[in-house]
Amino acid sequence: MATTVTPWSEYEGGTLARQQVGLWRDGLRRLRRNRLALAALIYLGLLACVCLLSLFWTPYNPNLIGVCPTYALPGTPGHPLGCDDLGRDLLSRLMVGSQVSLAVGLITAAIVMVLGVGIGLLIGYLRGVADAIFALIINVFYGVPPLMIAIVLYVLLGPGVINIIIAIAAASWMDMARLVRGQTLSIREREYIEAARAGGARTGKILFSHIFPNALGPIIVQTTYVVPAAILTSAFFSFLGFGVPAPQADWGGMASEGFSPLLAGFDPYILLWPAIALSVTLLAFNFFGDGLRDAFDPRQRR
Amino acid sequence: MAGSMNEPVLEVRELSTSFFTDDGEVKAVRDVSFDLAEGGTLGIVGESGCGKSVTALSILGLVPRPGRVVGGEILFRGRDLLSIDREELRQIRGRDIAMIFQDPLSSLNPVHRIGAQIEEAMRAHDKVAPRDVRPRGLDLLRQVHVPDAARRVRNYPHQFSGGMRQRVMIAMGLSNRPEILIADEPTTALDVTVQAQILQLLRDLNRDLGTSIILITHNLGVVAGLCSRVVVMYAGEIVEQGSTEQIFDAPQHPYTWALLRSLPRVDADRHERLRSIEGLPPDLIAPPTGCKFNPRCPFRLERCFSEAPELKPVGDGQVAACWVTMKRAYAEMGAGSLLDTRAGAASGVRPPAVPLPLAITGGSQTAGPEPLERE
Amino acid sequence: MSRASSFIGGEAVPKVTRGTLVYIIQRLAIIALTLLVVSFVVFVVVHALPGNAFISQRVHGKTLQLLLHEYGLDQPVLIQYWNFLKGAIHGNLGVSLYIRGEAVTPLVLRELSVSCELGGSALIITIGMGMTFGVLAAIRQNTWVDYLLTSIAVIGYTVPSFVIAGLGVMIFANFLGSVTGGAFAYSPVWTGTYGTIGELWLPALAIGFYTSGQITRITRASMLEVIQQDYIRTARAKGLRERVVTIRHALRNALVPVISILGTTVVGILVGVLVIENIFGIPGLGKEFVESILQHDYNVTVGVFTIFALLIGLSNLAVDLIYTVVDPRIRY
Repeated sequence: MATTVTPWSEYEGGTLARQQVGLWRDGLRRLRRNRLALAALIYLGLLACVCLLSLFWTPYNPNLIGVCPTYALPGTPGHPLGCDDLGRDLLSRLMVGSQVSLAVGLITAAIVMVLGVGIGLLIGYLRGVADAIFALIINVFYGVPPLMIAIVLYVLLGPGVINIIIAIAAASWMDMARLVRGQTLSIREREYIEAARAGGARTGKILFSHIFPNALGPIIVQTTYVVPAAILTSAFFSFLGFGVPAPQADWGGMASEGFSPLLAGFDPYILLWPAIALSVTLLAFNFFGDGLRDAFDPRQRR
Repeated sequence: MAGSMNEPVLEVRELSTSFFTDDGEVKAVRDVSFDLAEGGTLGIVGESGCGKSVTALSILGLVPRPGRVVGGEILFRGRDLLSIDREELRQIRGRDIAMIFQDPLSSLNPVHRIGAQIEEAMRAHDKVAPRDVRPRGLDLLRQVHVPDAARRVRNYPHQFSGGMRQRVMIAMGLSNRPEILIADEPTTALDVTVQAQILQLLRDLNRDLGTSIILITHNLGVVAGLCSRVVVMYAGEIVEQGSTEQIFDAPQHPYTWALLRSLPRVDADRHERLRSIEGLPPDLIAPPTGCKFNPRCPFRLERCFSEAPELKPVGDGQVAACWVTMKRAYAEMGAGSLLDTRAGAASGVRPPAVPLPLAITGGSQTAGPEPLERE
Repeated sequence: MSRASSFIGGEAVPKVTRGTLVYIIQRLAIIALTLLVVSFVVFVVVHALPGNAFISQRVHGKTLQLLLHEYGLDQPVLIQYWNFLKGAIHGNLGVSLYIRGEAVTPLVLRELSVSCELGGSALIITIGMGMTFGVLAAIRQNTWVDYLLTSIAVIGYTVPSFVIAGLGVMIFANFLGSVTGGAFAYSPVWTGTYGTIGELWLPALAIGFYTSGQITRITRASMLEVIQQDYIRTARAKGLRERVVTIRHALRNALVPVISILGTTVVGILVGVLVIENIFGIPGLGKEFVESILQHDYNVTVGVFTIFALLIGLSNLAVDLIYTVVDPRIRY
């Protein structure tokens, strides 16, 4: 039964009209009810805490070799997750590894958002030649797997976390730009844009005060999806050997180190922990993104 | 044509169908009963949402989730369609009872050629021999007056006009020569001139092939053109039933009366206002107590708020569910010269004071329009 | 009427018109242009990379100069590219710098066939598993079947392929091996150029799991929408069997969105091939790509890039052409 106040219509027995709720409030309410998204959010919060903690303290020095016997099994006293093939504590490395993943994920998403939104807005609004050039660039970019683009860029720029971020961002901005361009194209046809232009507003103001806020929903949702994509790509990077230089721990690199012992028949734990960490983190971001998208999808208004 | 002329080919008894939604049980169809004579034409009329389409879908077991038939019997050739197993029902669909729908563009599969779709209807059953399927398909298209049938049989639905598409649907429906054809608003999506052609086509098919037809529509003019008997539905229930002449010449239920009045007439005085029925159809989850039409009925009495009327005979073969009936309304309430048709306007009866659970933003609880002075 | 033609809706072969041919030619021209741009950009970028194949092999001094001259590496980049282009049009992609003298073209083609074997198997798994799961999840919406299949799909497209590969090795090689005493274990070692089925299935599955997850998701969503449509109601009203309704009517119409992500799927498979080949040591293009970058073997890098771009361009064209078969309302 409805818990909101429903004003009677004029006719007794007529259909009842429900009160209109604002899009944002309605969306937040629905998001709160989505338990999967909430669980994801809680996990991400915990992860952030662990990450921040690892900046100051970990059980052992993650890069120190020989703190425990090599290939120590989980449950060895003092090393709940075991140790790797060089005798480094896996728990500490796992904690530190979150830094790279989160940093790459969030910063890349931020860059992609700024780049993609900026370019998308301009292209969508100005159209014409700029649009044609954009289409050409996009076609070329899409002709090659983004991972390859990122790898080549990274090799060009040299090792380092910053360069990983730049490389991945450069290979990922197209989707956001395309999305924003599409949104801009449709929003610019609406009446209030024409009204603003007739009122003499400058292009910049129109773009940022009118078009951008209206496209914000899908932009936020898309950004939430860029984070796991970037983390995934950086994991692939590390896995293939292009990642952060040793001895900095990072999940992809740890997984890569864990593969050879696995293939040789040793225990899988060196691979297992970072694999689980990566998978759960990626799942969390995806679920949260799904929750956001469902919550703000105007077609699902009740 | 087997069977005696007196026995109806379809008997619907106390059919009830509900939709079980998150907001509650929507009682879409309640205790609906009617017969379809062999070779007869029956029209089911009512506003959108009155349950006429759901009734038709219930006959063939096509009610979509979360809907379900919850009671009643549907007797076809002596078998209750609601209690036979799925495979038997599947065989009856399309072979013995066929149904065509309102919007032929969305009702035809857009990626299959129409010839294939018609042939598919025949191949699904064993009434037509496999080698006859293709020639019969062409034949059907010609019967429904699709020109250049041999070439058009390979076209896709989007390559046809609206009227042609509906003809294709009719051809598809008749392909297995069913005993009954149910047509759910077949002309609503079409232009007026095309409407007339389709109705003529249905009339001819009924006459030549002897197919019994159930026609569902909200348009009374369409009913007059095709059907010999009419069922009027409101809020999921039958409020009146009778022959077409009876319904049009002497409607007994105020709703039927109001419907007929609301038809715009070419010969009406230009300054006359269009006479629509005030108000909206009721909420089917929590309908009004008593007669469901009471919030909109000009002739309502006190009794109408507390007791739901049952269908009672009001003529030879005509039944209506009303405590007042138009006979009385003409005699006692001046229905013949009534201009103000708002709820309670003719009888002067207001709804009783009822404690309402929620606050209102102004207006009294028993608000109702003041009856105007009759002119 | 055969089953296939009834699925297509009356006839198996759509009409190829002049418009279609014009469209194909236009697309091929765009592909050629893209290849040009891609190869040029990669060429220039790769030549800007520090170091080169010879230095990493500890060649210096006079020998280095000689080698550089022999391979034309002392000329300006644009001239080098022009030479490359001249050769490329005839199918000659140059010579490997790392393995002196080995022609790039046959090398790349051979590795291409290996990658195609792997990628093709992954594609079969993707489409087969993906669409089947999607359809089942849709027709059994909100039952345990739906939840299970959707969860599998979600895991598929979220979890990195090397994790799946690792899991696979864990379970099927190590665990199975230790349990059965070595009799029934998966061997993660790739034999010969093309391996065997027994060695192919896990890498292919590791790649295909990811992309099939995406396909499942889209197929399910598309089916759910299609099932609501009026023509499904008509099909049931005609008395068709439920399976026929599901496949010939519902799935047939649900295919269009699925086809539209096929292009992305191919790219996803290529990325997967890249990674998995490096994990399992499969001698395909992916492994070659990484090696060539690490070894500064420019010609090979450019060659691999070009081939990838060609594959993607052709598969996108194929996808757009498949559209016309699936949806007769689309014509070029």
